[in-house]
Amino acid sequence: MRKLQIVCFFVFTISYSQNKQVLYDFASLPQTLMLNPGAEVDYNWHVGFPLLSQVSVQGGFTGFSTYDIFADNGIDINDKLRAAVTNYGKSEFISLNQQIEVLNVGFRLPNQDYISFGYYQEFDFLAKIPRDLVDLFYDGNTIIDRRYSIKKLATRAELLGVFHIGISKKVNSKLQIGARAKLYSSVFNVNSKLNKGSLYSEEGTNNSYNQHLENIQFMMQTSGIFFEPGTEFDGSYVKKKLLLGGDLGFGLDVGFTHHLKKQWEINGSLQDVGFVYHTKNIQSYKLKGNYMVEGFQLNFDPANPQEYWNDLKDEFNNSIVLDTLYKNYISFRPIKFNGAVKYSFGQKQDDCRFLIEPDTYLNKVGFQLFSTVGAVHSYMAATLFYERRISKNLQTKITYTADPFSFTNIGFGLSTQLGLFNLYVVADNLLSLNNIYNAKSASVQLGINFIGKHKK
Amino acid sequence: MTLKKVVVFFLVIFLIKSCAKDVDFNQLDDASIQTTYLSTLLFSNFDAPKFLNEFNEEITVSTDFIEAPIADDSKPYLEKVEFTIITNNTFDRSFVFHVIFYDDFGTPIYTLNPILIIPKNTSKLTSIIEIPQNDIHFLYDTRYFGFTLSLSTSTDGSVLLASNTSTLELKSFVKLFFNF
Repeated sequence: MRKLQIVCFFVFTISYSQNKQVLYDFASLPQTLMLNPGAEVDYNWHVGFPLLSQVSVQGGFTGFSTYDIFADNGIDINDKLRAAVTNYGKSEFISLNQQIEVLNVGFRLPNQDYISFGYYQEFDFLAKIPRDLVDLFYDGNTIIDRRYSIKKLATRAELLGVFHIGISKKVNSKLQIGARAKLYSSVFNVNSKLNKGSLYSEEGTNNSYNQHLENIQFMMQTSGIFFEPGTEFDGSYVKKKLLLGGDLGFGLDVGFTHHLKKQWEINGSLQDVGFVYHTKNIQSYKLKGNYMVEGFQLNFDPANPQEYWNDLKDEFNNSIVLDTLYKNYISFRPIKFNGAVKYSFGQKQDDCRFLIEPDTYLNKVGFQLFSTVGAVHSYMAATLFYERRISKNLQTKITYTADPFSFTNIGFGLSTQLGLFNLYVVADNLLSLNNIYNAKSASVQLGINFIGKHKK
Repeated sequence: MTLKKVVVFFLVIFLIKSCAKDVDFNQLDDASIQTTYLSTLLFSNFDAPKFLNEFNEEITVSTDFIEAPIADDSKPYLEKVEFTIITNNTFDRSFVFHVIFYDDFGTPIYTLNPILIIPKNTSKLTSIIEIPQNDIHFLYDTRYFGFTLSLSTSTDGSVLLASNTSTLELKSFVKLFFNF
């Protein structure tokens, strides 16, 4: 069973981050407004193909890849497991993020502001696994005085539906700003953070060893996970929870685009500055205390028999107190920051070297920065990109990203516009395409939109 | 023409390059995670009065029991159990210590072998007793662990006195060897 758990872990360790570095600011797609509400779009309306305007799956595990363990290369799997454990960092994380846009619609107001609104479903999972727990699992606890700490142990998982409406407004010829309000409806939420404490064995006085649980503080909050016995579930339950029947919350995205000069631009956004207030099916666990055990002190006193085991259990339960809480709580969404600086160059000329589209550049190069800040985990990613408008109907973008998963993440995006019909596909970690099992992360977004009446 | 080239290029990338090198998930059958957990166990420190009754007569056999139901979740993975017992006996008498496993009905089902003989006047004697893999199931069938400490008879006819300052110290821990 434990082996099955291990293989499942390895196979599904293509986990998901939330960085959409290829999609960000790409080809004026409607989905760029979801990443930066202050992005510039040059069309009058758009309608995303229901359920297919954005299907996004991203994932990664920073520790090791499936190929590291299961490569058919003649090396004993136990040696590969040992190597993977040896190379494991102080803590590694596994994450998965999946989004499906159900509805995404936008239109330009007479004052040229662009309104967009819609609804998407999101599943997000992140677990941070400290090396100490891996060592405890793999090697056991026989190293005396080695402290196995749970300090970096953290996790979050949530499934929610998000209604949103945003506006992108041109302030002047140089500045565009935008904001998006979000209403969250959470189906379930689990989070555990700010844990601390350690387990260790030390040389004892009365017995060979004393074993300690030192300063244990563990908290796990859940909503929508535990139910009254007999509660029935079906698809309509999840649907209802996703559509405002769950725990509700509010969030805000803000963003801007600023043209420093004609060919220089900076833009940035903050996403999901918000929270969900959890009130339904709350069950949280809090574990706290210190405990030291020397062992069973045998008395050999038949006149006074001891209940050693029960006494030990009672002492443990009195020392390490487990509280079950049913109190409402607030969970904060992980805030995402995107920022970019880019330079545009190369204009289309006819045979006589006259500019065909004076305000349009064919090439863009730049630098993007992504950061997600959450109570459970935060990380950054840096991206260099080159975007090329190949024709009126086709735009491409290539990215190089360094993030906690990899320093060799090459991404590529393609957006094509045929009449009203727009199709885009973006993916990253293309260097791993020749061996997908060797990828520590992967990300794919694709979608179909109908985009109408370009201004130019 | 350019569009066609790009599409063809990426079709080639995805259809030809997009593949996986050989992996063999059946290797998992050969995987072996051998983990050892250590747990502190029993300890005692007896002086002479412990082996005397109210009439100052020697108690030659002392027994004690621990009821410790062991969940059998780990049963398929436990390969070896190794008890380490460290004794320090300053008495001029030897002792015999043995451990018997009893089931739910109080029936003895297993005796830890070898029985531990603690010679007189021995400091820090370490004994390692192993439950072989074939006998490990007895551990999971056990409800009570019984401990017997026997005081050997004196070879010179002397008897223990309450004022005797000798001690018998017993420390122990167990290592559980799992193979997941």
